[in-house]
Amino acid sequence: MFSAETLGVAVNQGLAGPLGRAALLVGIIASAFGAVASIYTARESLRDGEARTARLIPRFAVLALLAAIAAMTAMEYAMITRDFSLKYVQEHGSRSTPALYNFTAVWSALEGSILLWVLALALSCAVVVWRYRKKLSDPLIAWAMAVMFIVLAFFFLLSFAPANPFGVGAAGVTDGPGPNPLLQNHILVLFHPPILYLGYVGFTIPFAFAIAALVTGRVGEGWLIETRRWTLCAWGLLSFGIILGGWWSYEVLGWSGVWAWDPVENASFLPWLTGTAYIHSVLVQERRGMLRVWNLSLLLATFSLTILGTFLTRSGVLNSVHAFSESDIGKYLIIFFGVIVAVSLWLIAWRGDSLRSPGSIDSPVSREGAFLANNLLFALFAFVVLLGTVFPLVIEALQNRQIVVGEPFFDQLSKPIGIALLALMSIAPVLPWRKASEEVLRQRLFWPAWCGIGALVVSLLVGADGLAALLTFTLGGFASGAALRQLVLATRRQGWRGLVGRANGGMVVHLGVILIAVALAASNSYTRSQELSLKLNTPAEFGGHVFELKGFENEKTDRLTAVKAIVQVDAGKSYAPAITKFVQMGNNIGTPSVKSSWRYDLYLTLEPPVKSESGEARIKVFIKPLVMWMWIGGGMMAVGTLLALFPGRRRRPTDAVSARVATGKALDA
Amino acid sequence: MKKLNSLPMWILMLLLTVGLLAFGTLRNRGPLTQQGRIDAISQQLACPTCNGESIYVSRAPAAEAIRNEIAREVAAGQNSDNQIVAVIEKSFPGSVLLPRTDGVESLVWILPVVALVGGLCGLGLVFRRWKNAELQHASDADFAIVEAALQHKNDVTDDENV
Repeated sequence: MFSAETLGVAVNQGLAGPLGRAALLVGIIASAFGAVASIYTARESLRDGEARTARLIPRFAVLALLAAIAAMTAMEYAMITRDFSLKYVQEHGSRSTPALYNFTAVWSALEGSILLWVLALALSCAVVVWRYRKKLSDPLIAWAMAVMFIVLAFFFLLSFAPANPFGVGAAGVTDGPGPNPLLQNHILVLFHPPILYLGYVGFTIPFAFAIAALVTGRVGEGWLIETRRWTLCAWGLLSFGIILGGWWSYEVLGWSGVWAWDPVENASFLPWLTGTAYIHSVLVQERRGMLRVWNLSLLLATFSLTILGTFLTRSGVLNSVHAFSESDIGKYLIIFFGVIVAVSLWLIAWRGDSLRSPGSIDSPVSREGAFLANNLLFALFAFVVLLGTVFPLVIEALQNRQIVVGEPFFDQLSKPIGIALLALMSIAPVLPWRKASEEVLRQRLFWPAWCGIGALVVSLLVGADGLAALLTFTLGGFASGAALRQLVLATRRQGWRGLVGRANGGMVVHLGVILIAVALAASNSYTRSQELSLKLNTPAEFGGHVFELKGFENEKTDRLTAVKAIVQVDAGKSYAPAITKFVQMGNNIGTPSVKSSWRYDLYLTLEPPVKSESGEARIKVFIKPLVMWMWIGGGMMAVGTLLALFPGRRRRPTDAVSARVATGKALDA
Repeated sequence: MKKLNSLPMWILMLLLTVGLLAFGTLRNRGPLTQQGRIDAISQQLACPTCNGESIYVSRAPAAEAIRNEIAREVAAGQNSDNQIVAVIEKSFPGSVLLPRTDGVESLVWILPVVALVGGLCGLGLVFRRWKNAELQHASDADFAIVEAALQHKNDVTDDENV
């Protein structure tokens, strides 16, 4: 684990390496001491009613954050100044990489991505300490901080030893290949990974509070209320990060899709699924005090899945086009995952009696019943994604042969689950708590149902067909009607405040999800494509559009050679799909060019080989309906999450929902 | 509004939806274009050199070569999509992205169904337990408490009336 190379026992290097390693060491010490101080605070507070060590917790949190910032700064400094004494810079840096991609190259590979994780986690830790600075002697908060510090210490250790980005490289290296070419041609590389990591890391906070609640035995609803916004923040960031990843894939990879069910994509989707189940079912616990074990299990599963996903994508056990390189960190991550699962299960078993909640759900046709069905579907979805992702490993272990489980499998199973979820989204928002009468359902669902029928009629009029797509459009209309009904009623009652708060913000999120579902169904079902062999100034027609090759643009630098085909569309604007060859990497990278409109996108790619000297180009044209609405839906999800984070005009979740039922004793008294 | 909401209206809406869905599902879109067939086939096969990417997604030379082979097969027009997939798989074993439905691989299809059925049964059992629990709560002692409370209330009302 601690080799001379990783510890940097060498002298022929710049300042960044030793500084970075020192910062990581300080981070390990600060987070370890932070964990000890937090545990001591919790114990002291329980024993004596107050804890003097509590004041140490913020100091260690700030020290850990400073250490993480220093390590990241050192790495950026090494990359920007091209410090080729470091192995990481040798492998992922280059003198010819532009400044932006040189900056983002820091998280373009395994070691740097773990460092980014450390920074995000240290930041979360410091923010939580600041938020609870006056309550740090509360045993629940102190235990939560202890858990956060332990997780932080683990990631600092990973970054210090098996995934050390500050390891010393071979002597005499003066240039490197630069980051993966796909990470060098879109600005989203600056936003997608950090936002995704903030989402992953954000789930550490509710996880820490859940463990703290189990340890302290305060398994009532208090810890939930403390972590509600944190969970929503983490979920929102993860959602936004995933959508940005889809956008990036669409704009960069050249196959015109946003999601390929790749193991790395699945690794981000798994915690999203269980996290989404949690933010729904936790409402039942807040409102009725029920489903405690289930909600705890979902939270623990969400955090565990972030670690499992990290293991799957960073250990080299799975083949993925954008998995990180093979490394030693797999065994540490899988051990950490095992510890998390074992400790979580043991704590739940230990607190089993106190977790049992009184009360029952009166009817399946109620808001609670809908949330249970929602949770069943999300859990099933997560199971399917996990199974499909790890199944090649199972087959390899059992039969010593390799298979690939790909997009057709996930598509076949995710379609019915997605349609069932849309059906639930249509009905659940109008359901009252406890029990819904037939009369209420008929009255509340009437207009939303007509919205669904309207959407179906419009779909048929524009030529849609196929059961799955038509069901998606119908249920999308139905669910939009239900969400809009809720928003209209809320804004009528409360004015603009009817748009904020969890329920109303949640409806805006629903509208975003519906837009994404409809856009995905349309673009997957009705994409048309054609490969056109274009000759200079000779128009060709496809899908009602005229494409004319106007010429080529060549670019040659030390870093790359690129050829762009200039294609005029409908005698108007020209588009320039390109093929780039990165000198150091050797392979061809296609860059699509997209003409977007609210109805459909024209997606152009230049196909190899390019014969620019003969004035010919093979251009593949995809006509993809409604793609723009996917990004609008993503934006609506982000706005909806922000609206849900604002406190709405509602009672406190811990207030009584209905009058307390008098017991015999009370009557006697 | 009440008339609009009536049960017959809902039945009419349901029939209308089912009818429209059936019409949309059964109407013939016509055969796929050649490019459509190439895309559909290449979506079912993994590129042999690209870490799990499909032929459709990958821009690697190997994927490009197989795409060209598929295009040739489609242009020849003699084989069905499944036959073309089988031909490609013969050259690149294990390249089909859809797991088989027999042998150990069938587990990947069976387990989700088992999970769904298990989940539904679990939910059913939980609701049943909750229902029974409600009934059990209403024991003789509970009825006695309610009786006493009602009696107490009646007494108070009688006193007030007096």
